[in-house]
Amino acid sequence: MIVDSLDIDAEAFHAATGWEIKPEGACKGEVCVPLPNGFDLQPTTDLLGMAVVADESSGTWAIGPESLTGRALVTATAPEMVLNDVDGNEFRLSSMRGKKVVLVAWAPY
Amino acid sequence: MTVSLEMSGADASRPFIEAANATHWSLLDPMHQMDALFGVVNIPNIVWIDETGTIVRPAEPGWSPGDFYPDWLRAFLDERDAATEAKAAEVEATDPELAAKLRGGQDRDSYADAIRDWAEHGSESRFAMTPDQVVAGSQDRPKDKSAGAAHFEMANHLWSAGDRDGAIEHFREAHRLQPENWTYKRQAWSLVGNEAAGGGEMGRFNQGPLPGQEDDWPFEGTFTSEAGATPAGDYYPKTLNV
Repeated sequence: MIVDSLDIDAEAFHAATGWEIKPEGACKGEVCVPLPNGFDLQPTTDLLGMAVVADESSGTWAIGPESLTGRALVTATAPEMVLNDVDGNEFRLSSMRGKKVVLVAWAPY
Repeated sequence: MTVSLEMSGADASRPFIEAANATHWSLLDPMHQMDALFGVVNIPNIVWIDETGTIVRPAEPGWSPGDFYPDWLRAFLDERDAATEAKAAEVEATDPELAAKLRGGQDRDSYADAIRDWAEHGSESRFAMTPDQVVAGSQDRPKDKSAGAAHFEMANHLWSAGDRDGAIEHFREAHRLQPENWTYKRQAWSLVGNEAAGGGEMGRFNQGPLPGQEDDWPFEGTFTSEAGATPAGDYYPKTLNV
């Protein structure tokens, strides 16, 4: 997640990270992490173990994925993933509910 | 469905997608979201998700039963293999020890059989994992690896914005913090190697300095040096017994 300000709202945070801000805290799948003081980016990223990397020359920050469990996955619930196909058509992973999915990561190098 | 982890635009992946003549979704992932979302660290890597949207096998090395290459790449590989057979000791294009390391670990020929078993038996398949097993079997991620991912994303952002030097600094940090992540390395090596090679069909496969240009290479390693230093079986770890 690249941001040009650390003042972002909960909706933008959810869209970029998959962590939804609810009354019980930041939630992904069945996992919820309490936010004692509500949503504020810096303490929320601290609680979720998300690294925040600054690039002074561009005035932007990159927010890394969560690390609160020490594993890449905190839940077996598949995250939403939004990508385009080679012709620019948007695809949402959630559209595949009801079907088995085999996701194959590859590269032309 | 396939997901191409390539930053330099749709045209880099298009020839391969067209060669496969796929009827499934062929997606592009220039930001390497698959790494952050699923713990992908190399290609090819495969994730299985059931009908309820639950992951039943976390990211692991995996292959289809056939290779689908554009004609120009198939011609290159056939020529290289023929040359290797004829002059095994003299051809530098193929390193037999490196090739053996890359073939070790996960079994390529039987992976598709496991998928077929799951397609038929669903949750009763012996290859389907429980949610706790899926989470435990995903890549380890302490906070410094989150930082590695953030550096890679920043590198991606800066490279796309034309800040090559800034991008390379962040690529180097990503490589230092996630040394086991081959997509971060191969992507960076490929971008710079492609530049050095002047582009072309094979430019992206150039993942090290050209002869005589070693001092210009901005990274600690190359594909050959780092994959060559990887213990046998570790480049594509074995996670599946079919």
